[in-house]
Amino acid sequence: MSGADTGAGPLGDASSRSSAGLVPRLLPTLLLLTAIALAALLLAVAIGSVAVPFSGLWAVLLGEGEPLHRTLVVELRIPRALAAFATGGLLAVSGALMQVLLRNPLADPYVLGLSGGAAVGALGAMLLGLGTAWVSGSAFVGALLSTVLVFGLAHGTGSWTPMRLLLTGVVVAAGWGAMITFMLVIGPTERIPGMLYWLMGDLAYARSPWPALIALAVACAVVVPLGRSLNVLARGPLQAATLGVAVRPLEWSVYVAASLLTAAAVTTAGTIGFVGLIVPHMLRLLFGSDQRLILPASALAGGTLLVLADTLARTLIAPEQLPVGVITALLGVPTFLFLLYRSR
Amino acid sequence: MRGLAGLTLLLAALGMPGAAAAEPRCVVDDAQREICLDRPAQRIVGLSPGVVELLFAAGAGDRVLGAVRYSDYPEAANDVPRVGSHTRIDMERVLQMDPDLVVVWASGNPQEQVDRLKSLGMTLYFSEPREFEDVASTLRRLGRLAGTEETAEAVAGTFQAEMAELEQRYADAPPVRVFFQIWDDPIMTVNDTHLISKAIAMCGGVNVFGHIERLVPRLDRESVLAAQPEAIMAGGMGEEDTTWVESWRSFDDLPATRRDNLFFVPPSSIQRPTPRIVRGSRIICDHLETARERR
Repeated sequence: MSGADTGAGPLGDASSRSSAGLVPRLLPTLLLLTAIALAALLLAVAIGSVAVPFSGLWAVLLGEGEPLHRTLVVELRIPRALAAFATGGLLAVSGALMQVLLRNPLADPYVLGLSGGAAVGALGAMLLGLGTAWVSGSAFVGALLSTVLVFGLAHGTGSWTPMRLLLTGVVVAAGWGAMITFMLVIGPTERIPGMLYWLMGDLAYARSPWPALIALAVACAVVVPLGRSLNVLARGPLQAATLGVAVRPLEWSVYVAASLLTAAAVTTAGTIGFVGLIVPHMLRLLFGSDQRLILPASALAGGTLLVLADTLARTLIAPEQLPVGVITALLGVPTFLFLLYRSR
Repeated sequence: MRGLAGLTLLLAALGMPGAAAAEPRCVVDDAQREICLDRPAQRIVGLSPGVVELLFAAGAGDRVLGAVRYSDYPEAANDVPRVGSHTRIDMERVLQMDPDLVVVWASGNPQEQVDRLKSLGMTLYFSEPREFEDVASTLRRLGRLAGTEETAEAVAGTFQAEMAELEQRYADAPPVRVFFQIWDDPIMTVNDTHLISKAIAMCGGVNVFGHIERLVPRLDRESVLAAQPEAIMAGGMGEEDTTWVESWRSFDDLPATRRDNLFFVPPSSIQRPTPRIVRGSRIICDHLETARERR
């Protein structure tokens, strides 16, 4: 791939121009994205298939209000919006990490087969008729199993390269894919809709937003300080080694971190597609490829995108409910194509 | 709008001072949980088309405030406001209706959403009729919860009597080997634990794929040809769509085709575990009788 030294984005070379000058813009950009994220969360809490007037909403936020409004806002909308934010943030950060790690713009959180492992775990639990806690637990175990499997196989007996990791991941993903198809074919008819919703990703599975939110906070705390080293790594392992970065340990920790983040996201809401691929690219198109900005911005923008998408999924054709994965693609594709078209 | 609903509730509460003093109404649902209501359910949400149909049959139709997509029987069920589909429920609409009873389809509704309804403090009745007898007992239990015991008892009694009459009439009928197709592409049938197969057995038929472990097995045409059914019955995409059953017309090796025992069964008459299954059972019994006459 000719772009091996361009970071992962179509505008990867922007980093060389702007990496020195970007730090002053870091704070205002992140503040702006935070403001947008808060606005999206507020919108998600205000809108639903049942209309809650603004006065009622205000009363609830002050700790009063009608019981119905309280239940709608406090029990349903706030936990779901927070879960959507955390899941989107996790997926976007994980996607950004994978794109740097594999030095491939097509990388996303699922490219190494992690979603397949999680899906086999979750669908297996559904096939056995186990409870929702088991479905989440099995998804997490499946995701970790897939991570370890790809890690071990890519290591192999020879030397390790991103290309080798990518190929191993893609083939393992194909294997999981076959198992998923098999499970869908042998599954009892009445369980198929639930299985499909899980595969498409749906926030109705989110029971509590807290595990995902905590994972997101920890992820940001751990990964953002690595931004400078990742900037160097994105320009190629040889250059990174010359500049004093311990390439192999960095690559493995990025792989493990991205896998854990994706596992947390998938455990919360199934395999929501597209957020992890498109959000880091959008941000690179807008702000350049400095990982010190891209990683925290991915957390905010990924969360915002999924909060907005989930709000639409709940309300667009209410009372019918769409799986959120449909909306992330419908929102993301035109926005991304527009940004790509506008760029040179 | 909310004020109006509150007023209606208040009036409803004032309107039945006597009922409030009565002892709690308790039933055991199909998940073996005991459900008790202090007074007859006034605000019911049904989460599958079959459940809604059973509620109407039990005389509680005017208490059904929420139904799901495809709740099309009886006619009045079409006018009940929707709360999503049985595979994805709009939780906000359910909450808004403030139901005192939610009837859940145990195997059809998504578990995570049912869990959520439970954690929101809703009273749930899990419905999963698997035998003809369950249809009658579900009617009685729903009638008990809704305070419409008389209607429910009458409908359940008629249902049981009509089924018993069919069972008796065909108890000694010579067996006919039947293939029942419920879907095309892939071809799907049912095993012996399915109500359709129980109707076939009651009419003196033998389901050629009844022994397969899966409730709804998927088949290829070869296995149907190998099974050599004497009669083939099939539904279709509508109440008059006979293309599925006609697709067997070209297979002259089949005893069913040679004797012209290719029968259409309107899907609505047999697809839901409700009192309408009497009609479906009669249609199946008549077809099998025709098959016997053509021997």
